[in-house]
Amino acid sequence: MFRCGLRLLRNYTLIITEKPDAASRISSALDADGKAEKIVENGVPYYVAKRSGDIVVVPALGHLYTVASEKKGKKGYPVFDFQWVPRYLAERGAARIRTWLKVISKLAENADKFIDACDFDVEGSIIGYSILKYACGSKEKTAQRMKYSTLTKEELEKSYTEPLPHLDFALIEAGLTRHEVDWLYGINLSRALTMAAKNYSGKYATLSTGRVQGPTLKFLETRERSIKCFVPTPYWSIKAEVKIGGAVFEAEYEEKTIESKAEADAIIYSCKGKDGETEKIEIKKFQQTPPLPFDLGSLQNEAYSLFKYTPLRTSSIAQRLYLDALISYPRTSSQKLPPAIGYEAILKKLSRIPAYRKLATALLAKPALKPTEGKKEDSAHPAIYPTGNLPERNLESTEKNIFDLVVRRFMAVFGEPALRQSIKVTISVIGNRFQLNGRQTLEEGWLRFYKPHVRSENAPLPTMKEGQKVSVKRVVLENKFTIPPSRYNPSSLLRRMEKEEIGTKATRARIIQTLHKRKYIREERIVVTDLGFEVVDVLKKFCPTVVSLELTRKLEERMNEIQQGKETRENVLQAAVEILKPVIDKLKEKEQIIGARLSQAIKKARLEERIIGACPTCQNGKLVILRSRKTGKRFVGCTNYFEGTCRTAFPLPQKGLVKPLGIVCKSCGWPTVRVWVKRKRPWKLCLNPKCPLKEKRSEKR
Amino acid sequence: MKCKACHRKAAEGDFCLLHLKAYENIVKKYDFWGKALKISWKEYLSEIEQNSLTGEWSKEVASYLISNEGMRDVKES
Repeated sequence: MFRCGLRLLRNYTLIITEKPDAASRISSALDADGKAEKIVENGVPYYVAKRSGDIVVVPALGHLYTVASEKKGKKGYPVFDFQWVPRYLAERGAARIRTWLKVISKLAENADKFIDACDFDVEGSIIGYSILKYACGSKEKTAQRMKYSTLTKEELEKSYTEPLPHLDFALIEAGLTRHEVDWLYGINLSRALTMAAKNYSGKYATLSTGRVQGPTLKFLETRERSIKCFVPTPYWSIKAEVKIGGAVFEAEYEEKTIESKAEADAIIYSCKGKDGETEKIEIKKFQQTPPLPFDLGSLQNEAYSLFKYTPLRTSSIAQRLYLDALISYPRTSSQKLPPAIGYEAILKKLSRIPAYRKLATALLAKPALKPTEGKKEDSAHPAIYPTGNLPERNLESTEKNIFDLVVRRFMAVFGEPALRQSIKVTISVIGNRFQLNGRQTLEEGWLRFYKPHVRSENAPLPTMKEGQKVSVKRVVLENKFTIPPSRYNPSSLLRRMEKEEIGTKATRARIIQTLHKRKYIREERIVVTDLGFEVVDVLKKFCPTVVSLELTRKLEERMNEIQQGKETRENVLQAAVEILKPVIDKLKEKEQIIGARLSQAIKKARLEERIIGACPTCQNGKLVILRSRKTGKRFVGCTNYFEGTCRTAFPLPQKGLVKPLGIVCKSCGWPTVRVWVKRKRPWKLCLNPKCPLKEKRSEKR
Repeated sequence: MKCKACHRKAAEGDFCLLHLKAYENIVKKYDFWGKALKISWKEYLSEIEQNSLTGEWSKEVASYLISNEGMRDVKES
């Protein structure tokens, strides 16, 4: 029993949500007047809504429970005994969770009905289940489940009045197993690597790997290897600039690559000063079908290619839009839009937004609305779609972009196929054939709805006929080289992980971030560091199973089978332990060698982080960020100081963070650093005390 | 023995496993360069060493080969 205003509350329904924003929205949607009362207890917000009875909606903060070792405080390995504990017992900086759980437990005491309203996916199900089980006194068996894909009032009310009778235990079992298997892998392998390095060098550095992290790093390493070993080969291509109807076009020689310079020269020589004649004109009309509705992966890919947002960023923007009830649940792998979502109603609502009015009205005028759909299905949620709700606050530009992308993609899937035309003209210059290619849209179809984000270019050609004389302005020889395989970027890496079926839509982006955090990889166009190479080498040499894609995929399959009732949690956990035991033994046995290799790589990585650039004085030394042993002050010195050949040194700001920029000053060519100081804008600092730019600035002052 | 191009342990001959792969690539690609430009092994090494598309390890091996005449004889035979 607790006090809400002047009333004492008891026998209420307790609804648990995943995040505070969702709690606020659900309580407002369920309250008869649309205004639930917000109560904050020890910093924990919860809401009281009045309907036919009292409803208390309390949020979680994502996962409140986690897997941890049964033996508290011991940092050794192997560890195979685990339990689910409140996060504040297992993680530093999670003290707030203690108060949070206390409030939830207190609210659970007087509740007579429990509803889990966390996101309807694996993670959400685990969050709700663990709170109901551990904080609410084993209410997981009697609790009901709200299932919704949008946070709109209508859908929330429906999911409250027609809840699922119980939690999805098969999904929960599969999710718990995934967490436990990943924990077993992560804790044992990461501790093995970290401790090997620490025991060898005496210095601590967090190293990690895991069931998905290992294979992911391995295919980054394979790509990096082929880039680093790449040797380009020369080839030539020939282009003819032809004048047709007053305009100049570029025609390509029929052989795209010519492997010998002598052969290319001979073609150029024979074409010199000659005109051409159109030999053949091929026109092809083809249909471009509408795109598929967005699942999380395709939204992340599209957002990266259009706006360069990383997958993690897109996912968190989409999550915010979902919590604002602007789009449906984004962590879906479905490419289906069932009619039950109400196409017409959504389009009608969208037509209230001026930018979409004409487009939505055009779709509503169609006799029937049938979306183009993909093969992928998700039993929990449909593909991502706009709810039709209008933003209640000013969206940030990134949110506007993602919202617009979702809205336009939604409309585009209902569009007609676009009709495009390609024209290939073969021009003969005394027997040497050149090809002129044109492309144009004849009927816009769905392109009209997706216009700002369409990338198919139009390159129309003038009307031509066979046998037509063509003036050749010049023939150009281009010397080219084969190029190395392209580097992965966050988006292409995510696609590869999806293709290989490792990780889940909820974990992939975070795993990429962890690889960055551990300094195994750097930059957006991913470069594997020496430390990354060393970790993969160690794993490949001493425990190849850990980086084996096959093994990870098999475990993944077995975990999915738990959800289908074909496999048990115990079997999968036992299999994971059986795989891990010999691996850990081997790592322990070779700890000394592994430690030496990793320590060397860590040392190199740390030094590389501090290198600012080449020493402008001695030219062959490197400028490094150092600390004076006497004063403890930070400065920049040349590595040749230790050889006794260069005494170059520069002062550095003593406060804040200093990081090498990796670029030289535009004005004087000296190395530069970036300085971050709290509550100040970061600034670029050129190390040259006599940099002309600095002098100019001081003159201005 | 240490790799001639880095600090790692040499696997076979002069190079570690990483640089050995780069060396094998360099040897393999010489056939293409020879056919395309009719250049000598030494000229080829110098070309790939300066080419911005050449991988870091291949560049390191090329630099080493340029300053090590012995390796050149092996290739030109």
